[in-house]
Amino acid sequence: MALFVAGLNHRTAPVALREQLAVEEDKLRELIRDVHATGVAREAVLISTCNRVEVYALAEAPGEARAAIFRRLCQHRGVDLGAVEPHLYTHEEGEAVRHAFRVAASLDSMMVGEPQILGQVKDAFALAQACETVGPTLHTLFSQAFAVAKKVRTETDIARHAVSVSFAAVELAKKIFAGLQGRAVLLVGAGKMSELAAKHLVDQGAFPIYVVNRTWARAQEMARALSGTALPFGELDVALGSVDIVVTSTGAPEPVIRRELVQTVMHERRGRPLFFIDIAVPRDVEAAVETLADVYCYDIDDLKQVVDANLRERAREAQRAEALVDREVAKFAARLRDVEVVPTIVSLRERLEAIRSAELKRALARVPGAPAETREAMEALSSAIVNKILHAPITKLRESSRAGAGRSWTTLVQELFGLGRPS
Amino acid sequence: MLALLGNVVLIAYACATGLSLAYLVQREEIVHRLASLATLAGWIAHSIVLIALVVETGRPPLGGLPQAVSTAVWVVVLLMMLVERQYKMPALGAFVLPVVVILSLKASAARPAALEQIGLAFRGAWVWVHIALAMIGIAAFVLNFAGAVMYLLQERTLKAKRTGAFYYRLPDLQTLDRLTYRTLALGFPFLTTGLILGVVWARTAWGSVLTFDPLASLSFVAWVIYAATLAGRAVAGLHGRRAAYFAVFGFGVLVLTLGAGFFLPGRHGT
Repeated sequence: MALFVAGLNHRTAPVALREQLAVEEDKLRELIRDVHATGVAREAVLISTCNRVEVYALAEAPGEARAAIFRRLCQHRGVDLGAVEPHLYTHEEGEAVRHAFRVAASLDSMMVGEPQILGQVKDAFALAQACETVGPTLHTLFSQAFAVAKKVRTETDIARHAVSVSFAAVELAKKIFAGLQGRAVLLVGAGKMSELAAKHLVDQGAFPIYVVNRTWARAQEMARALSGTALPFGELDVALGSVDIVVTSTGAPEPVIRRELVQTVMHERRGRPLFFIDIAVPRDVEAAVETLADVYCYDIDDLKQVVDANLRERAREAQRAEALVDREVAKFAARLRDVEVVPTIVSLRERLEAIRSAELKRALARVPGAPAETREAMEALSSAIVNKILHAPITKLRESSRAGAGRSWTTLVQELFGLGRPS
Repeated sequence: MLALLGNVVLIAYACATGLSLAYLVQREEIVHRLASLATLAGWIAHSIVLIALVVETGRPPLGGLPQAVSTAVWVVVLLMMLVERQYKMPALGAFVLPVVVILSLKASAARPAALEQIGLAFRGAWVWVHIALAMIGIAAFVLNFAGAVMYLLQERTLKAKRTGAFYYRLPDLQTLDRLTYRTLALGFPFLTTGLILGVVWARTAWGSVLTFDPLASLSFVAWVIYAATLAGRAVAGLHGRRAAYFAVFGFGVLVLTLGAGFFLPGRHGT
């Protein structure tokens, strides 16, 4: 019985093919039951996202199982198996474990560290559980993968820093202000980008939101979208005095926010910092503005630079996460081998216990008048014999699993005691 | 035995300093955890040393400037651990611990003055209160200084739009400004009361306040700087970078004050 993962992802297959193969939830349910019913795989979990389609399975013959599963998948989706085959990767045993951990921890994602993938893997696992295609091996594997993903998130900064311009603006604001709760935001101009940045700010608790725009209707529209207030363009000066963060994105050819204006405003603010996020090109905020004390001014290039630095940071953190995954894989391999022998140990115990209780019952029936002490003694005697007999084979099974030879020993024990297949 | 434990304290603080500085660059969580552990270990050992000192001499661990500074260091480390937790400021150690190590080095290098010499000047409880308050004040100003340095670095980073170790590790400007303000507000009353008691004590002990003592004179200068900063902050809207410069300046004078106590002859010196 071998654990393997087979599939394709954003690195091995073009988007056109991934699109064709991606399966919706309803179909996924049907497909996974189908696969399981064929009996090629004892356990199976199927993950299907826009960036990956892969199956984790436990099978006697991984190669056969893989072929059977993807044949079915291709039939379902009406794709030629020949077109899919060259893009498939397969990892077995330890490598499959590593793959599962890396996927769940978002190290295998297109954007390393993106948070959605963990949820997607969890959904896929839950679905497979609902379809009853998850056994002890995949259960252990996925529970551990979720634990590792959590560990990676908490112990590395992999997902900590913003990797988009609009999030970088939020991150910067948090370096200036102690939290964004209740920070007032002013939008100057009503571009899409500034709307996005404003949304992120609102998500972090920024409030209230003001919008000024040359076109009054557009200002109102945007204000509605953000649950803010539209102000006439002439009130820009007044608004500047009361807000903390200003997002500018007008199409004006000349700066709309001049140094003199900001200087006057800053005087009244008594040291409260003012943060300009200038997304417009050409810029809306005069370059000299940032020479003023307590004024911070980031234009689009500055924000991109922050994003680049964050990406480098993320790559660095990913290195650390990989090392963490390596350690976890090594630890898990030992556990997985235990999982392999545990069902055999359980059924061995059950078998001997069944024999013991049946024989005991029969023996007791033959001496109906036996006193309680005799009954107890017989009970104790039979238990002792069973436990003594079990001791050696169980120890041997545990040892062999740790030495990596669990499979041949479980087969042997099953044959010897006529245990059949533990389920 | 006590001397050995004293070395343990110093080594633990030195290790914590190294680890804290490494954490600033390295950003490994484990490095920070080790730094916190070394700090805590040092502080516990330090506490034992101070308790042993009290038991041995039967008076507060404030006899002579080196001892007093050592106690101040103990307060600094305690405050630092509290602030670090309260403000979630893991980078704080990198800015406080170097000062801690320098002060500890000074405190342990200078051997305390002969006990009988101290004994003369140290009759009466008020002098202990004078020293204790001044030391708590100094401890708060060490954190005030660290907060100010962090503010200046973060402000420069944000103005220059550089994303480096400081950008990633230092807290936001408002929190840093608040920390600087609060530590000033905490330290100032202690320093003020401590100085007043010192003056009163000098009058009763020596009959005059005006005899020249280098430490006393310089501490008055430091007091004036801190008083001006506090007044400026409270009334005139002093804040941010300029307030941080004041904090650094004030601490510079405070260090000179202690230096004067260590190296120049006077009533505080040995």
